[in-house]
Amino acid sequence: MLEQLLIFTRGGLILWELGNALKGSPIDALIRSCLLEERSADAAFHYDAPAGCAAYTLKWAFDNDLGLVFVAVYQRILHLLYVDDLLAAVRREFSRVYEPKRTSYDDFDETFRQLQKEAEARAEEIRKFKQAGRAPAAPGKKQVPGAASRGSGKQRSSGGGGSGKDESDGDPGKGRRSENGSSKGHENEIKPNSRAQNVVVHGKENGAPQVEAFDVSKLQKLRSKGAKKTDTGGGGCKAAKAEPKKIAKKNRVWDDSPSESRLDFTDPVDDRGEGPEIVVADQGESMMDKEEIVSSDSEGEEDEEVRNEKPDTKKKGWFSSMLQSISGNALLEKSDLRPALKALKDRLMTKNVAEEIAEKLCESVATSLEGKKLGSFTRVSSTVQTAMEEALLRILTPKRSIDILRDVHAAKEQGRPYIVVFVGVNGVGKSTNLAKVAYWLLQHKINVMLAACDTFRSGAVEQLRTHARRLQIPIFEKGYEKDPAIVAKEAIQEAKRNNSDVVLVDTAGRMQDNEPLMRALSKLINLNNPDLVLFVGEALVGNDAVDQLTKFNQKLADLSMVPNARLIDGILLTKFDTIDDKVVGAALSMVYVSGAPVMFVGCGQSYTDLKKLNIKSIVKTLLK
Amino acid sequence: MSRKKWAVQLNRCDVTSVGFEEWGVSLLNVRVLRRSKSNTILLAGLSGSGKTVLFYQLRDGSPHLGTVTSMEPNDGTFVLHSELQKKGKLKPVHLIDVPGHSRLRPKLDELLPHSAGVIFVVDSLDFLPNCRAAAEYLYDILTKAIIVKRRTPMLILCNKADKVTAHSKEFIRKQLEKEIDKLRASRSAISTADIANDFTLGIPGEGFTFSQCRNKVTVAESSGLTGEVSQVEQFIRELVKP
Repeated sequence: MLEQLLIFTRGGLILWELGNALKGSPIDALIRSCLLEERSADAAFHYDAPAGCAAYTLKWAFDNDLGLVFVAVYQRILHLLYVDDLLAAVRREFSRVYEPKRTSYDDFDETFRQLQKEAEARAEEIRKFKQAGRAPAAPGKKQVPGAASRGSGKQRSSGGGGSGKDESDGDPGKGRRSENGSSKGHENEIKPNSRAQNVVVHGKENGAPQVEAFDVSKLQKLRSKGAKKTDTGGGGCKAAKAEPKKIAKKNRVWDDSPSESRLDFTDPVDDRGEGPEIVVADQGESMMDKEEIVSSDSEGEEDEEVRNEKPDTKKKGWFSSMLQSISGNALLEKSDLRPALKALKDRLMTKNVAEEIAEKLCESVATSLEGKKLGSFTRVSSTVQTAMEEALLRILTPKRSIDILRDVHAAKEQGRPYIVVFVGVNGVGKSTNLAKVAYWLLQHKINVMLAACDTFRSGAVEQLRTHARRLQIPIFEKGYEKDPAIVAKEAIQEAKRNNSDVVLVDTAGRMQDNEPLMRALSKLINLNNPDLVLFVGEALVGNDAVDQLTKFNQKLADLSMVPNARLIDGILLTKFDTIDDKVVGAALSMVYVSGAPVMFVGCGQSYTDLKKLNIKSIVKTLLK
Repeated sequence: MSRKKWAVQLNRCDVTSVGFEEWGVSLLNVRVLRRSKSNTILLAGLSGSGKTVLFYQLRDGSPHLGTVTSMEPNDGTFVLHSELQKKGKLKPVHLIDVPGHSRLRPKLDELLPHSAGVIFVVDSLDFLPNCRAAAEYLYDILTKAIIVKRRTPMLILCNKADKVTAHSKEFIRKQLEKEIDKLRASRSAISTADIANDFTLGIPGEGFTFSQCRNKVTVAESSGLTGEVSQVEQFIRELVKP
């Protein structure tokens, strides 16, 4: 049954709770990794207590008008149908009892027990009804039952809540589960279609969470796709989806050896010493250290005025909506929000934000605004605008410190080098930006060393060698056709020996669908345990950013040996100067999907073209 | 600018006992005099340090059923609970508990201009793992232009002092000073795009101590859960004189 049901204010005070004590801190985890990450439109949140003692599923509901949150926690192996129903009922009842100053609501216990009984009874009825109609079962017909349907066609006498039955169900499910590589979830032959859509990610904070809590409405969506009963489960389907997109890479071994010596022109120059390449050192201050001309408050006010004075484009019910907005008593309904949200979503998409991200964001903002009272003298569109602006600001604000210099100093005190690994797909600018970061670090008197672990692309090592010569820093390289993980390991040992503070590791670009290459990358990261895994993404990318980041994170999580896999820690956005200032949405997509902050922005091809992300200006541009 | 402040005042009015004249006066003050005798105190600190518990302790005398991570600030104007029994005219205190989660940091920037004092809450139990993060947050606050120019007094509160393994306030003070010293070195040349470190702290060449700050910084202990908040109340009363 339900482990616990909590009611708390948005400010953090628990108003009412009922149930057993929970292991770990699932509520805090829910708030931090879901509600504050603008994923409040998701159906459920899964939490694993540390030390594996318990696994919970959490569902929630908001009362935006009063600023309350209702959370129901139950064991993940259970599938309680009535939770959504119960949450809605509790919200209704509690809003009647609630007073702003009151802090104890013991009398609500009785009301709650009543509601719980009713909700369970209702769920029971639905289940019985569905079961009765299941006898003439045909694929595509509406007869597939609710919670009790584990395997289609298996008659099950379901007594009591859906809870107890899961044990017997777990086993056939488990086999398929391990195939998928995806953890948790009840299996259903019909399910693979929907699961193929859900991205399966290990880390709780990265990527879209798994939607596992069974929902009758989901089932209906499934049925409309036609009951394709594949026995291989979700994994097969996903692989099938991936296959057509990317043809398997051909054998990569080129017969390099003879041509390499012929084409390798740099050696003679090296022997000559510095040659014509005199130290570059000073191209001036890196743009990282320059003050951003932050738009002052006056500009902000201008924008506000312009926004407020924009003519009201909605023709329907103009007068009544004006009246309502003046009186300020209107309760925001979903239907009111929809046109404003649609407009916002379109605007975001014209700014190059990936479509699904824009969708999810709008859903999340809708959830947080529903049922709220409109302030006086405000229109729906302006309320939505402010809410969206806050949400965007929240997402883009880094949730951990991005002060690399401080981290480098900390590592230095511990007597080990600070390791940064640059990963990304082909051609985004890893090597170029690596050199820029090296230049910036050098300006702050830090000893940098480069590690050429791109052993595949012709010219990669020479490229880094040239940078190293211009910047006058040591470089560790082993030529081509070597295992990058081993090269990196040796580079780090070398760094320890010659007292370098930072090691910047360059890797070969790889497509996110290329299994063997991703495995190689995972091996490199796991073997060397870097301090910072920097994903390099270009600002020109559109919807593909989502795909890239989720697959990278997923592969890094799946292919690691340790339970706490290293995932992407930061993002480096490149080619910012190529996009029109108006289309900056890629930054938002990447940050939303991975949860990692944007640490650097590359805006040109010379050493000084590296800067930090100005969050306020990005948000402003996105919503203009 | 002034309109924004209006809006902020309007939204923030959690009506307890704020008289109309106080309202009117404070609004006038905001427009005419930049330095009004505000009675706003901010509770800031890392997530999980005990700010919300302290807020309710000061307001109601007990933390009720407990707290979870705050998503929004807790705002209230009230007379401190322990002083309700006292006779005489007591000026209500406007206390704002700002969420400590890093994603919600910008909220603090909005509220700083109106504050008469800042209480920075530190978790003395779980101090060392979070020492760096706490020092960074503290550094960011101490270097804000508003704090430096107005010399806003600050209280570093070592919360959860009732636990056996909690660190002493002296230890915490020294650790924070050391961390901030290191931060000075790494931050002195950079200005991050969203939080501008307008000023540097301390005297170059010497180790940093809180006494070098232009505003008054004191350290105290407290325990939100058991109600041991006398030092906090003292600080508040010094700032908000009736």
